[in-house]
Amino acid sequence: MFEAIAFYLFSAVTIVMFTITVMSKNALYSMSALAAGMIMISGFFFLLGADFLGVVQIIVYTGAVMALYAFGMMFFNTTRLVEEKVRAPKLVFLLSGLSALLLVIAFTAPIVSDHIEAIYPVVDGVENPQAIGIVLFTKYLVPFEVAAVMLLVAMIAGIILAGKKMDESLTLKVDADDEFQKKGSK
Amino acid sequence: MTLTEFVISTIVKILVVLGIFSALAGFGTYLERKILAFMQRRLGPMHVGPYGLLQVLADGIKLFTKEDIIPQNSVKPIFMIAPIIGAATAFIALAAVPLLPEFEIFGITVHPIISDVNVGVLFVLGVMASGLYAPLLAGMASANKWGLLGAARTVIQLLSYEVVTGLSIMAPLMMVGSLSLIDINNYQSGGFADWIIWTQPVAFVLFLIAGFAETNRTPFDLLEHEAEIVSGYATEYSGMRWGMFFIGEYTNMITLAFLASLIFLGGFNDWGFIPGALAIILKVSFLFFFFLWTRAAWPHVRPDQLMWLCWKVLLPLAVVNIVITGLVLMI
Amino acid sequence: MSLEQFKDRNVTQNYKFIPVDKPPVAPMDKFKQVVKRTFRGELFVGLWVVFREMVKFNIHTVQYPKEKLPISPRYRAVHKLYRLLESGYERCIGCGLCEKICIANCIRMDTRYDENQRKEVTEYTINLGRCIFCGYCAEVCPELAIVHGGRYENASEQRAHFVLRDDILTPLDFLKEGKQEEFPGFGAVSPNADERIKKTPLAY
Repeated sequence: MFEAIAFYLFSAVTIVMFTITVMSKNALYSMSALAAGMIMISGFFFLLGADFLGVVQIIVYTGAVMALYAFGMMFFNTTRLVEEKVRAPKLVFLLSGLSALLLVIAFTAPIVSDHIEAIYPVVDGVENPQAIGIVLFTKYLVPFEVAAVMLLVAMIAGIILAGKKMDESLTLKVDADDEFQKKGSK
Repeated sequence: MTLTEFVISTIVKILVVLGIFSALAGFGTYLERKILAFMQRRLGPMHVGPYGLLQVLADGIKLFTKEDIIPQNSVKPIFMIAPIIGAATAFIALAAVPLLPEFEIFGITVHPIISDVNVGVLFVLGVMASGLYAPLLAGMASANKWGLLGAARTVIQLLSYEVVTGLSIMAPLMMVGSLSLIDINNYQSGGFADWIIWTQPVAFVLFLIAGFAETNRTPFDLLEHEAEIVSGYATEYSGMRWGMFFIGEYTNMITLAFLASLIFLGGFNDWGFIPGALAIILKVSFLFFFFLWTRAAWPHVRPDQLMWLCWKVLLPLAVVNIVITGLVLMI
Repeated sequence: MSLEQFKDRNVTQNYKFIPVDKPPVAPMDKFKQVVKRTFRGELFVGLWVVFREMVKFNIHTVQYPKEKLPISPRYRAVHKLYRLLESGYERCIGCGLCEKICIANCIRMDTRYDENQRKEVTEYTINLGRCIFCGYCAEVCPELAIVHGGRYENASEQRAHFVLRDDILTPLDFLKEGKQEEFPGFGAVSPNADERIKKTPLAY
């Protein structure tokens, strides 16, 4: 009974949160609702006994949405409403609605058929971090490594992009150069 | 144990933990003021009650009865929710921490842990990290320059020190082979020589540094650095909402002290002749004292120094530590 | 803290010049500096210093309303009006110099000739709300009748309390007990005044 209560509570809160994320015109509301929704999703993982995934959901999305906040902080005045200009609202609604519908169908389709079988069924006595580790390092080893290499590439690229001329002060240098050139030309 | 028993015992535990730790958080402010005062050759609070002991009560009454000011241009719901996030996450993080060894009272065996998640370490760290949403939201919602700066600093501090915390704790976890705090504690049951700090001193230091940054304590308390940004994220807050940030901060300090003593300092195992329960209380008290001690002794760092320290010193050290631990474990 | 320490103005200044190196520029030098600073244990010196102070428990707090620091005799707080030691009359001769010199215009006095053709002060008020405690009145007073006292706690419920002469005048019973001490402070002649007196140079 408690599980059912918890499930409905979490789902209601999650749906409300994501609705706010989509509907709100205030960037701060949207982002906070997104963060709350993402953390609420971890509740489902805990209910299903996947503690590890639940915790990873919390940790990863805490950081990820926080990065989003950083962007929001730089682009908007987050305490004000964002006026959005949508040229073809009907088209946007149609496309996003269709893709949402497709996603729902894609994920619920297996429920309709009775032939669902777990490829890697839960083994008794194996805790969930180990179970994930086994799957990750046997079946999905190549995608895992590829993802790791891609992340490494992204990180190095980020460091190079951000680290270029990091020691030079932009404002000081521009001023000094301009002064010099003006004096030199006279 | 039947379901009803489980529910009742959990609720009782939650109430006890909430009560004790909010009281401890209040008492922590008193301790901090006293110890800082003694270190600076002052007396600290003296007038309310004997040796100022009732100062906490007086402050509580003041905070509760003070007007709760909400600035006109702020985003009101978020402004109001932010401190609650701070206090709530601090207590939620405590849910997965085994506070004491098992003990018997009235013939019932009590496990002093609210929820024995088998990935306890990650849970506590994750929830503590999401606690930094409190200063972030507070700063962004309060429509104040200093608040916004505080929020921006929250973001950089969280994003960089999350990494160090995770990586520093990785090496001990590799040795133990479990994410459960109870397993980690049992791993060190052999006594003083079995403490993980002796095999992982670097990880311990890194974890403490990152912990200071995540709980927003002195060498790294850039979020509300008075000399630079007035009061940072808390500039616009008053009354109980302001107080809740501090309940959260002190609870986080205690949680972190528990984590550090469980993972590195032998947890609640018996320490020589000292019984386990007393041992962990001693360790936590020392770490709490250490938090205050550094506040009296060390200066703040600048934000750029903070980033430099994280990405150029701590992160490589943590990675090297993991690699060496891995090599040693393999051989 | 004794008064002698307060009076001593010849404080020797033991300034020490601490040589400061130029900050390193090259990355390797910076790294070396970090390593040096990390392992030289300066952080632990800081920890030790504050811990030592805590253990020594050498507290410097003055719990103000309960304890008070002694103040210098030259301190200029709320005025006092003195009486003549023998007769108990007021010392004030009603010359009006203090009223004249007061730059805050806070002294008001009213005088008349009494039956002995001696000037008598009927009203004397100092508006302490206006007074800037410059000390000119005490300095200019020829009789040492108005001096500065040491009472610096001026809070009151009404402004009317800031002008009462009765509060600053030495009470008669107090005088009869011989408690009116001659004032050494601001406006008084210094203790070694006799030594300091030189003959007027009249050698022209």
